[in-house]
Amino acid sequence: MLSVHDLVVHYGNTPVLTGLTQRFARGRVTALVGPNGCGKSTLLRAIMGFLPAARGEVRLEGQPMRGIGRRELARRVAYLPQECHCPDYMTLGELIELSGYARYSLAGGPSDRDRALFRQSLEIVGLADRAGSQMNTLSGGQRQRAWIAMMLAQDTEMVLLDEPVNHLDMKYQYAVMGLIRTLSLRHGKTVIVVLHDLNLATAFTDDVVMLADGQVQAAGPVGEIITAANVERVFGIVTDVFTRDGRLMCLPRLIDSLPVTA
Amino acid sequence: MTLRLLYLAGAAVGLVVLSAINLGYGLTTLSPADIVRTVFQADASSFEQAILLHQRLPRVLIAVYVGATTAVGGVVLQGLVRNPLAAPSTLGINAGATVFVIAGAFLFDLGMSAQGVAALAGAFAGFAACFLVARLAARDRDPRGLALILSGALVSMLCVGLTNALLLSDPTRRNDYLGWVSGNINHAYADRLYAFWWIGAIALAVLMWLARPLTLLLFGAEKAASAGVDVRAVSRLGLAATMFATGSSVAICGPIGFAGLVVPHIVRPLVGSNFVTLLPAAALVGADLCLAADFAAREAFRPYVLHTGLFTDLIGGLFFVAIVKRFYLASPGAVQR
Repeated sequence: MLSVHDLVVHYGNTPVLTGLTQRFARGRVTALVGPNGCGKSTLLRAIMGFLPAARGEVRLEGQPMRGIGRRELARRVAYLPQECHCPDYMTLGELIELSGYARYSLAGGPSDRDRALFRQSLEIVGLADRAGSQMNTLSGGQRQRAWIAMMLAQDTEMVLLDEPVNHLDMKYQYAVMGLIRTLSLRHGKTVIVVLHDLNLATAFTDDVVMLADGQVQAAGPVGEIITAANVERVFGIVTDVFTRDGRLMCLPRLIDSLPVTA
Repeated sequence: MTLRLLYLAGAAVGLVVLSAINLGYGLTTLSPADIVRTVFQADASSFEQAILLHQRLPRVLIAVYVGATTAVGGVVLQGLVRNPLAAPSTLGINAGATVFVIAGAFLFDLGMSAQGVAALAGAFAGFAACFLVARLAARDRDPRGLALILSGALVSMLCVGLTNALLLSDPTRRNDYLGWVSGNINHAYADRLYAFWWIGAIALAVLMWLARPLTLLLFGAEKAASAGVDVRAVSRLGLAATMFATGSSVAICGPIGFAGLVVPHIVRPLVGSNFVTLLPAAALVGADLCLAADFAAREAFRPYVLHTGLFTDLIGGLFFVAIVKRFYLASPGAVQR
């Protein structure tokens, strides 16, 4: 279990997280949602230790994250930044092979077990036949699945993703989210994913954490948190929240919610 | 993957062939059998063998050393700085090493091994100055390393100016250093090679050992850290090894610049950007390029012998045009970048 206690993070003099406390349950998919600039990405980066905490701390299974070395952390938590750039002329197979770096001995390379894991990761994302392809010849959707395969091949108990379906068309948004869902369902991983589309959150995640102003505004199971009242309070728009064919939907009202005077 | 290994093997074969040509061909021509016998017996009983052992072999070894170290330096710097223009010659490293050697020799009468130390110190100082200027100018906002390249140009100009001033100040000693300053592969520098070669060997071994984490750094510091790379330690060790490698090569034969800038761009499309294959490929191709340049400098305008530095710049420039056209303007990846 990952827990964040009273976390305060500043960018220069601007406070971004202002005393955020939250637990992320093991084996579940949690969506981080909230308006732009509310601190979603900052929270993930602070969890990874890329940003210094002015106050508070992050614990992994009760152990302070600060005390965990980079290599050990990489064996336990994988992270996919919002923008990921692959060097030119790198093949998908090479990318996947690099993901196991934290498991290799300092002079050694992948073991047979690692290689089996690499194959399996590519099969899961449906790119098993593209291992020899260069990353910049893949389509946007394939590339995003490649990054997810890289996280899978890192073989961690926990996975953090920052807006993994940005810039993808609707088909690939659902395909990639489906993949992320299977990370927890079939592979037992704990997933925290930053999302903008609340309907993706309702369709593919277990829990939702709503952030605003650097604090948690609401957190819990999807059905309890995605309510018209919460969405209006956090995002400032009026929505209809309803169930259709057993799926929770959140649909903004056009006329009422357009912030014409705002 | 197999194609890439084939390119790698090709570069290795090229090294052997070019070495053989450089050793065997010239005013006196030796057969490959002669070469092998003489090199492995290591005694010069005839005139031909003396030429081979004391003139051609040192030149070949120096060319290989310089080509390998500067090309690998270029690959590592372009990766760490995240800019395709980064190289020992563009980040103040070569110019810093040069001015330290000249200043050491002219002002403090340093001997040869002390000049080598001065070159290493100058390589570090040149890059440090470049880094400092970039920091002052751009603070922390220099994601593509552009400020670093510009301050590298600035620092290099300053160092070259100082070097020239020193050279002009002492007409009697000027001639001894004029060839060296423009980058010259010459058997006269053999002693320098035998004194410093181990520095480059260790530096290249360290960089090979860091190949995977250095490759991960290409993805950006945070992605690399999330994969388990100690970003600060790997960057510093990689930079230090690069300074040692390129500084020692300047100590041997002066600043031979273009290999560091061009070879990475020649090699990357062929073997990819994974340092595990890119570093050995760059070392081999850099050595090939310098051997070819040295041979051309020696033989193209007989009886005159040109400076190798001039030739590497020429060959490098032509290659650069071809590479940009072939791999950057033509590929779909070029548009996305």
